[in-house]
Amino acid sequence: MYPRWLWKACAFPGVFWLVLLFLVPFYAVVGVAFGTLDPIFQSPIPIWNPVDWNFGGTLHTLAGFLPGNTYWLVFVRTAKYIFFAVSISLLISYPVAYYISRHARSTKVILLVLLVLPFWVSYLMRMLAWVGLLAPDGLINDFLIWTHITPEPINWLGGHAGTVIFALVYGYIPYMILPLVAALDRIDKSLIEASRDLGMTASQTFFRVTLPLSKMGILGGCVIITLPMFGDYYTPRLVSGSPKTTMLGNQIYLYFHGGPQPDVGATMTMVLAIFLAFLMAYYLYSVAKAQKDLQ
Amino acid sequence: MSDDNEQLEGAVSRLVKHGMSRREALKAIVISGMGVAVSPLVSRLAWGAEGPGGLPLARPDKPVSLPMNGEAIGDGMKPESGTFTVFNYADYLYKDILDQFGKKYDVDVQLTTFANMDQCITKLANHDVDVDITEITPDRLTQAVAGKLLKPINHSYIPNLEANVWPHLQSPFYDRGSRYTVPYACYTTGIGWRSDKVSEDIAGMDNPWSIFWNAQKYKGYTGIINSPREAIGLAMLYRGNTDLNSEDPKVIDQALEDLQALVKVSNPKVNNQEYQSLPQGTSWLHQAWSGDMLMYKWYLPEGQSGDVMQYWTAGKGKAPIQNDCWAIPATTRKPVLAHLWMNFILDAKNAYSNFINYTGYQPTIKQVDAARLIDNGTIPKHLSTAVIKPEDFGPGSIQYCTLTSKGQKMWQDAYAQFISGV
Repeated sequence: MYPRWLWKACAFPGVFWLVLLFLVPFYAVVGVAFGTLDPIFQSPIPIWNPVDWNFGGTLHTLAGFLPGNTYWLVFVRTAKYIFFAVSISLLISYPVAYYISRHARSTKVILLVLLVLPFWVSYLMRMLAWVGLLAPDGLINDFLIWTHITPEPINWLGGHAGTVIFALVYGYIPYMILPLVAALDRIDKSLIEASRDLGMTASQTFFRVTLPLSKMGILGGCVIITLPMFGDYYTPRLVSGSPKTTMLGNQIYLYFHGGPQPDVGATMTMVLAIFLAFLMAYYLYSVAKAQKDLQ
Repeated sequence: MSDDNEQLEGAVSRLVKHGMSRREALKAIVISGMGVAVSPLVSRLAWGAEGPGGLPLARPDKPVSLPMNGEAIGDGMKPESGTFTVFNYADYLYKDILDQFGKKYDVDVQLTTFANMDQCITKLANHDVDVDITEITPDRLTQAVAGKLLKPINHSYIPNLEANVWPHLQSPFYDRGSRYTVPYACYTTGIGWRSDKVSEDIAGMDNPWSIFWNAQKYKGYTGIINSPREAIGLAMLYRGNTDLNSEDPKVIDQALEDLQALVKVSNPKVNNQEYQSLPQGTSWLHQAWSGDMLMYKWYLPEGQSGDVMQYWTAGKGKAPIQNDCWAIPATTRKPVLAHLWMNFILDAKNAYSNFINYTGYQPTIKQVDAARLIDNGTIPKHLSTAVIKPEDFGPGSIQYCTLTSKGQKMWQDAYAQFISGV
């Protein structure tokens, strides 16, 4: 018999990690949002005691998130990009994950290794590689001109929403495929066999058995890529650079990067975190509901 | 200084006397019970109607003598040994210069970099870096002096300041008497373009700045410098407004409106990549710094000619001209070497080598003669407009200078709105 505290102790590193690397920094952001400035250097001085918090600037920033105002419009644009990027990622990822899980018998390990391979190269380097490929004199334009598909190079990097969405898909898609493979792997094959034995066609089996049972993998993958996409600022910067494709992360970066208003950046970070917390709460609710349904 | 500022300064001074650093004192005020009373003052007043710490705001026609933070080092001291650390932007100093300095004074020389001036000031203020000499821009100098981040300099170690530096910068408006700084490199802001892609005679236009607002056909290939001051400044110059330190809300609002219109016209990229994107052809028309234009040869694709690279600026009093400086951090443990570095970088041979072999940013040195550089082909004739002459500085010139805290917020908010693309 192991002592009961042993299992609780196993959670300690995770809890410690969470407190040290999430809760404390997040409280620092809150402290900056409601804090003040060094009067000379204009760097943020967080106020830790909620009793002393300044709310004046915060309310002004929050007003920017009201429908029709600047931050609201940037937020809507960001949400649109992410909606498309996540949808496209899912459409690409699901068949790949399905193939790996169901049909790639001897090549499964190799395919999984290949999926993890992009993680060996930094995100920034992978994006910069695409900047080179998509440039007017890049390989893709060279190929399109060579094949007479286009007479002139296409300026993919000229500030297009499509390029930003494509880059987001490319950058985050491995994070979507892996949880999907795991979810599809967990489906009990006997359920699928039972479905076929009871007369369902292959497509009926997929839509009525496989897809519902992989719902948690789909949701998990979507959550995993949605959260970092909302904070992303370097992807639009690298592949576009145009104000027309600015995402909320770029606005936060601008205010944190310098100047006398880091509190504005901190408030925007808080708003984003609250929104993402709602998304996360929905995910957790779905997980709990799915587990309850299985019992 | 206002009563409120005095009240705050008094509170800070009392804590400093008890052994706290200025920064620690401010934090303590905010966190403590005093914070309730004083912290609104801190955030509301910030720099008030004056500059940081109540110091006056320097302008080319309103020179400022900065207060002395302690004494400069004495004459004739021996240089220290060990590792000498230079604090600078990345890629803004020729490595050979660092090596030569190390060899000359028998020390190891190390380069520590910052991404931008905000980071430089923050790192110095927080003592996050242990550096002996720092690059600094004039618009942040008042802040650094008010925060006691810099050490006054002793000119007896820097004979090259008087011997080699352009007259207007021997005692510049932002640091009368050169109490803290010596100049490093200079640059103008103008328009860079490729003559093989842009058909207009930009230099011959009535209002060349307007090219950005008439660049529909170059959509996707235009660019604006990623800086609140430069972007809003461009829109102000387009309207013929040369008061680039204006804090008039109407002027800023008009500039924002013009920038928003510009996004619709040419969808510009907002970045500082013109040194690379113009020679490589990924942009054809870009707001540009003269120094970046002169760097084109390092980025030109193999086999291509740089003759297509063009630059225009409006000239004295009509376009911004800026310079960087060197200053000695108050925390340096090698002040003698720091002075010797200043003298070394102002040596005509070293300054020339740094300029020609690496940075592309022109030193403010008498011997680096613009006409000679063009005549001997060091600088191509088609980029002669990027060369700066000594008389371009001084009264009548325009520079981006320190704004009040309120002004900074105004400029930043307008810029954020421009960047939002809304």
